This record gives sequence, structure tokens and C-alpha cells, in this order.
Amino acid sequence: MEPVVQFDRVGKSFGQHRAVDNLSFSVRRGEVFALLGPNGAGKTTTVRMLVGVIRPDEGRMVVSLDSRTTEVLPPDKTGYLPEDRGLYRDIPVLRTLVYFGRLRGLEKDEAKRRAVEWLERLQLLDRKDERVDALSKGNQQRVQFIASLIHKPALAILDEPFTGLDPLSQEFFLSLVSELREAGTTIILSAHQMDLVERVADRVLLMNKGREILSGSTEELHGRLDARPRIRLTLEDMNTVPALREDPDVEDIVIDSDDPNEAQVTLRDGAAVAPFLTRAVTRVGVRSISTEPPRLHDIFVRAVREDDNRRSGSSA
Amino acid sequence: MNHSKLSLLVAEWEFRRYFKWKDQVLGLMFFVVTGAISYGVSRIMGGERRPVTVATSGIELASPAGGRVLLVPAPADSGARVAMLGDGDAQGILTRRGDGTFDLLVEKDPRYLSELRALVANHVGRERLAASGLKESELARILAPPEVKVHFTDPNRARTGKAEKIAAGAFQGLVLLAVFTSMAYLLTGITGEKQLRVTESITAIIPPQAWIDGKILGICAYSLASICNMVVGGLLLAFAAKLAWGFSLPDVLVRPGVILVLIVYSILGLLLWNAFFAAFASTIDDPNTSTRTSIMFLPMLPVVMTIMVLRDPDDLTARILAVFPLTSPSAMPARLILSNPTVLEILVSVGLLAGTIWLVRRMAGRVFEIGMLMYGKEPTMREVLRWTSAKSRRVNPGV
Repeated sequence: MEPVVQFDRVGKSFGQHRAVDNLSFSVRRGEVFALLGPNGAGKTTTVRMLVGVIRPDEGRMVVSLDSRTTEVLPPDKTGYLPEDRGLYRDIPVLRTLVYFGRLRGLEKDEAKRRAVEWLERLQLLDRKDERVDALSKGNQQRVQFIASLIHKPALAILDEPFTGLDPLSQEFFLSLVSELREAGTTIILSAHQMDLVERVADRVLLMNKGREILSGSTEELHGRLDARPRIRLTLEDMNTVPALREDPDVEDIVIDSDDPNEAQVTLRDGAAVAPFLTRAVTRVGVRSISTEPPRLHDIFVRAVREDDNRRSGSSA
Repeated sequence: MNHSKLSLLVAEWEFRRYFKWKDQVLGLMFFVVTGAISYGVSRIMGGERRPVTVATSGIELASPAGGRVLLVPAPADSGARVAMLGDGDAQGILTRRGDGTFDLLVEKDPRYLSELRALVANHVGRERLAASGLKESELARILAPPEVKVHFTDPNRARTGKAEKIAAGAFQGLVLLAVFTSMAYLLTGITGEKQLRVTESITAIIPPQAWIDGKILGICAYSLASICNMVVGGLLLAFAAKLAWGFSLPDVLVRPGVILVLIVYSILGLLLWNAFFAAFASTIDDPNTSTRTSIMFLPMLPVVMTIMVLRDPDDLTARILAVFPLTSPSAMPARLILSNPTVLEILVSVGLLAGTIWLVRRMAGRVFEIGMLMYGKEPTMREVLRWTSAKSRRVNPGV
């Protein structure tokens, strides 16, 4: 598929801080391209350069959304949901959406028609005349989403669309992203919720400290995953963890930060799960056992850690 | 969409965001009702001033017909005089001393003092006239000042002078009000947008210059509409006063050319200050906590400096102030009314003002572009000045 956006050796610094460093990637027409990375990775700076809010210090961007090739994204063909979201809180919902539609080049009547269509689809039509601040946070997010996409852009750039949403709303936005892709919209998604992104992204680029550390299609990345399953043990007494570590098949044990009674066990290459579990339950008190298939999340976490270690090693 | 269309779209949005007919009608009603009450009360109070009684000693003063002060002889006994004050029979005791001076004994501030002084001066003057042997008509002839008649080359000027001074003063006041109204809305609007994080959604769509231009125009239109509303209120009030009390507007004229120049300078002055304040507002996060809000008093400076023009509208300072862009919106209208600036002076002044607005607007656009995306810390003045000449950080040309 032809690329619609190409980033070629782009860099950006703020004072002494190198926010984006020699970054290159291309986004293909109709795909969901995910920019992933921990906080401070440079995703938002990349997105801001994409939409033209800030200028790169070096490198270039080539855009081919239509028959023309330009160095900027045409705003009437681009939708942007910024990380710093906000709407005019004292203005009614419909008026707000019509304004954003008109800013994107729609005629007033057309903007109104599309706003009503979207509001109906997102079950907010009965609230079109209410002020934005009368809506719940989730509904305000929906209005913001409409404001970004009301002009049916060929390219949608969504910066951290899942942040601050409850699980139901996250699912809702995931389904919207899927719908957009099916309708032929190219999507650039910046996020750090890798489990969510994995479900919709065609290709991903993992950033850390301004640089690419990993990229490829989700299938390719799955191929690179450690095939060993993760074993989750809920222990009766966390003081027994050292006893588990003595097991010859255990490579690593991580304590879950959300649940301090849960230990995530990684076995050595080639080790079988069943003999390990048999030994474990005889050595320590175990309340529950579960195993999970490998996730992209794990390879990302490992890649970022390795990159951090490499950098600290090279700076030392 | 081109720059002008985007700016007008933003201007319409900004105007409609703040301009609400209901608020305007309510404001107008409040203005008219308050004005009518104030005028009515002053008429009633003025028509029914309470008379005061002053007891006199050592001078035989007759109570003037229709006057407020009623004069009665004071008792000889000093205790009885004080008792008159205490009982409320008199509000003052006027005593003539041997050296010709007077003492006025009172319990509280004598609001009638000027009227009493005039009565005493008139009486003493007549006493001195009688002692000199001069006739009253002879004295009047001696003291009468020679008449100096003023003839304007343009006879209409005789009828326009006072009206134009009033019009110029009113315009200055209204423009100042419009400047402060605009400033308030720009400060709260722009800092509000920063706080609500609306900024990035908009700057990704349209160029900051188009956004700030639209804001300047929209808020300018809102302020002018509010001021027009006040003027309409004032005219309604005058009309109501005419119907109720026979209040009549003076039969004077304001030259159309003067009105035109006043309107042009008012709008240009407003645009200049709006451009300045839009840029200023983008450099602060919260006007309630900013240490820079004293800058809001800056628009007062040209008005204060214009007072110099009033003293001598043709001296060098006045001429400079009338062409200097920051002071010309105040000083040139004043000169136009008090003197005869040449057409060239007016053209140079308007040209410089228009050029300065364009320059300030461009610099404001640069400051706005950077300031609107800066949260959490206020830039130093040096940084802001550097931004004004910085290359645009954007690549996005807008829709």
C-alpha cells in the first residue's frame, strides 16, 4: 500500500532536551498506525509536528493524502484529537460542533447536518442544546471526538484517545477506531495502553526517549515475542517468594504492583509448566493459578528496559 | 479557506460567544432605569431644597426673595443664640465683628455658605458704595469689562465648538470603556481557552495569526456593540427626560467630518489595544494570579497625555502626540476640535496608526502562537520580546 505520510529523519529539541531524535516512519493508506511508548517517549511531540503545530528542527515530512504531494497535512483532510483535550464549556454542544466543522471548511448547513448525524449515532442528540459542561466527562470526550472527525478526514490523528476513560468507554472508542478504519480512514494512534492498541493497530512503532526502538506489523512483533507463557500465582504469604525463586526452572519473578499478593513467574527457555506448578504448590501456599498467552505489552516493556539499560550503560 | 474567511469565522464566533441579546436588553433597561431614577431624584431634590434660617447680629440683612436662606435678627444674649441652634430655630448665627469681618456659628457643615457669602458681599458692597458717594450705575460702568467678540472664519464653528468638545469627551470616555471591556473579555477568554485546553484543537486547524485576528475583530465588534447599546440608552434617557421634564438638547452642531474622524480613530485605537492585549493575554495562565496585570492600566496613559493637548493644541508636544500611534487616537480628535490640523497631519497620523496596528498585530500573532501553547510558567518580558521577531514554529498553513 502507498504511504500517505512519510517522516524522514525528523528531529526536535526543546532547549537541551532532545524530544525526537532522527525518527523515520511511513504510514500507509487505510491502516491503523500506532505510535507507542512510555510517558516522555516523544509521541506527542511527533504528533504535534505531524499536525503542524510545531516545526521540526531537522528532517522532513512528505504527505500524499490526495493527488498532491506536500510537506504539510491539509487541515480539511486531517482530523486531530489532541492529548490536551478541551472544548468551550459554556457553549451548547451542537453550536460547538458546527463551529469546528466550519473551521475545517464545511458550510454551516453541512456542518450542522453532520453534527446531528454523529450526535444521533453516539446517542447524544437529545443533549445537543445543552452546554458542554453539563455533560459527563465520557460524553465530553465523545463530543471532542466528533469535533475532530466531523469533516470526514482521510487521515485521523488520535493522541492518547483512551486516557482518562473507564473500561466501557475505552471499548466504545476502540469500536469507533475500527469503524473508521473499515470506512477507509487512515489512522495514526498515539497511546501507551499497549493492550488496547494491540487490538486495533496494523503496525506499531515503539518509541523511547525520542527514538524508535522497535517497529513492524503486530504479526511481526508477535513473532518476536517470547513464546513462554506467563504464570500468575496468588500466594497466601508473599514471604514464600524466595522459596519459589529457588526453583531451577524459574528465570524471573515480578510482583504485581496492582495486587501485592500476585507473583508473575517467567520460566527458563524449554522449561515445562506442569512440573513447575507441581513443585510450586508443594513448596508454597497458593490460592490461585492462571496462565496468560504472551502479549505485545511484554515485548514493549522489555524493549524499553533494554533501551534504558543500553543508554545508561553507554552514558556511564 | 483563506485567511480572511477564517478570521471572520473566528470573529463571528467570538462575537456570538459574548454578545447575548438578553444581556444587552437587560443592561440597557438597567441603564435607562438607573439614569431616569438619578435624574428624577436630582430634579426633585433640586426643586425642593430645604430653607435654612440664619440669625444675624451687627448687620441688617433682608431675606432675598425666592432664596434659600431666611435671615432673622439674632437675640442679644449669647446663650439664647446657642439655644436657637440647639432647638433648630436657626442653622447658623452670623455676627459682624468690629473690624468688619464676620463670624458664622454653626452646628454642622453650612451647605448654604456660598449663598450667604453672596448676600453679605452684596450688602457690604452697597455700604461701601454709599460711603464713597458714587452712583451704582457709575460704578457698574467703571467695572464693566470691554467686550471681545470672537468671529470664526467658518461661521458654523461658533455653533459647533461646545458640541464637538462634548462629543470628543464622550467619544474618549466611550472608547476607553470599550478598550477596558475588550481587555476584560480578551484576558478572560484567552486565558480561559488555555485553562480549558481548547488551544491545541484550534491551532491544529487554523494559523494562530488568523485566530488572533478573528479574536481582535470579534471582541472589537462586541465592545462597539455594547457601547452602541449604551449610547442608545443615553439617547432614550434624554428623550424620556424631554418628555417628562421638558429637558431640551442644546441647539448645537457637530460637523460630520469630525464625527467621521472620531469614529475612525475610535475603531483604530480599539483595534490597536485589542491586538496588544490579545498577545499579552496569551502570555499569562491566570489573570487572577498573574503579577503582570498592572499593565492593564496602560490604556489610561494616552488619555492622560492628551490633557497636554488641551492646554495648547498647536505646540510641538501636541502635534507629536497627535501623530504618535499610541497617543494619536486620543490626541488627534482633541486637536481637530480645538485647532485646525492640516489634512496631511491627519493622513500621516492615520497612516502611522494603521501601520502600527498591522505591525502590532503581526507581533501579537507571533507571541500568541508560542504563548498559547505554553502552560505552567509565565515567560519573561525578554522572552516575549524575542518571540515577536521569532520565525514561526508552525508548518501548518491552515485550511
